[in-house]
Amino acid sequence: MRLTLADKVLIGGLIVVAIIGIGWHVTLNSRFRGQTAEIYKDGRLIDSLVLRSNYRQVVRVGTETDYDIIESDNGRVRVVEADCPDQLCVRMGWINSAPAEIVCMPNRVVVKVVSKERSDIDEIAR
Amino acid sequence: MNIRRMIILGLFVAIAGVLHAVECWVPLPLPIPGVKLGLANIVALAVIELYGWRDALVISILRVFLGTLLAGVIFGPAFIMSFAGAVASTLAMAVGCKYLRSKLFSLVGISVIGALVHNIAQLSIAAVLVVSSGVFWFLPYLVLFSVPTGVVTGVGVTYFFRKLPQNIIL
Repeated sequence: MRLTLADKVLIGGLIVVAIIGIGWHVTLNSRFRGQTAEIYKDGRLIDSLVLRSNYRQVVRVGTETDYDIIESDNGRVRVVEADCPDQLCVRMGWINSAPAEIVCMPNRVVVKVVSKERSDIDEIAR
Repeated sequence: MNIRRMIILGLFVAIAGVLHAVECWVPLPLPIPGVKLGLANIVALAVIELYGWRDALVISILRVFLGTLLAGVIFGPAFIMSFAGAVASTLAMAVGCKYLRSKLFSLVGISVIGALVHNIAQLSIAAVLVVSSGVFWFLPYLVLFSVPTGVVTGVGVTYFFRKLPQNIIL
């Protein structure tokens, strides 16, 4: 069992690239505090929640059987309950800053935190 | 195709399908969509080495059907993601085995490439399904995760070949 030089370069390179990517993601996250959370289903914006301290809001999206219950509280947002089999969206927990997002694959729901900068650009574009 | 070969390939499909299903049952403590150990890639890589890429591709496709059927997620999003990942990673490992194996990489390196391509393919399908390119923010985490899983799979294949009796295959 021996690794070749190319193996080691590949493994090392991937770890470095991954750490740079994660670092970039984390820095972006810490810079843009979220102001709203947008909820998309099948790629369409269907609802948005306000992220503000001491403010709580709960919405339920989806149908009778395929649903996600999404809660915003104190500037953070999470999926409280979903009827998907894997429950990944629930286990992802709270997110509070852009560009973090929660994905529920089985129901094709995306919860995306949007910061002020981002929504300003959107308003100009409109 | 002689009968002995057919039986052995069938056996590989069964092993890979069960590995795939068992993997679906084991929850990993990481809340990232699509993260899995990729144990079924052991079979894919072993078959590429033993019988070539055509048989490996057929086995990978059949094992996705069998594995997702056993795990109860057949024809859902998980099925589409597994299917794309299995096909892409099998082809990538086949190319790797043919052109890079002897000169550059050992089986471990090929297996890491397979794990990486598997994750990228799955994530691309996920991005299409939820119509959101933001899913690609998970990519660095998946790349980081694909290194240890790829190494484990590669070591598994290496030990498989070490223990494999010489007269059993053909």
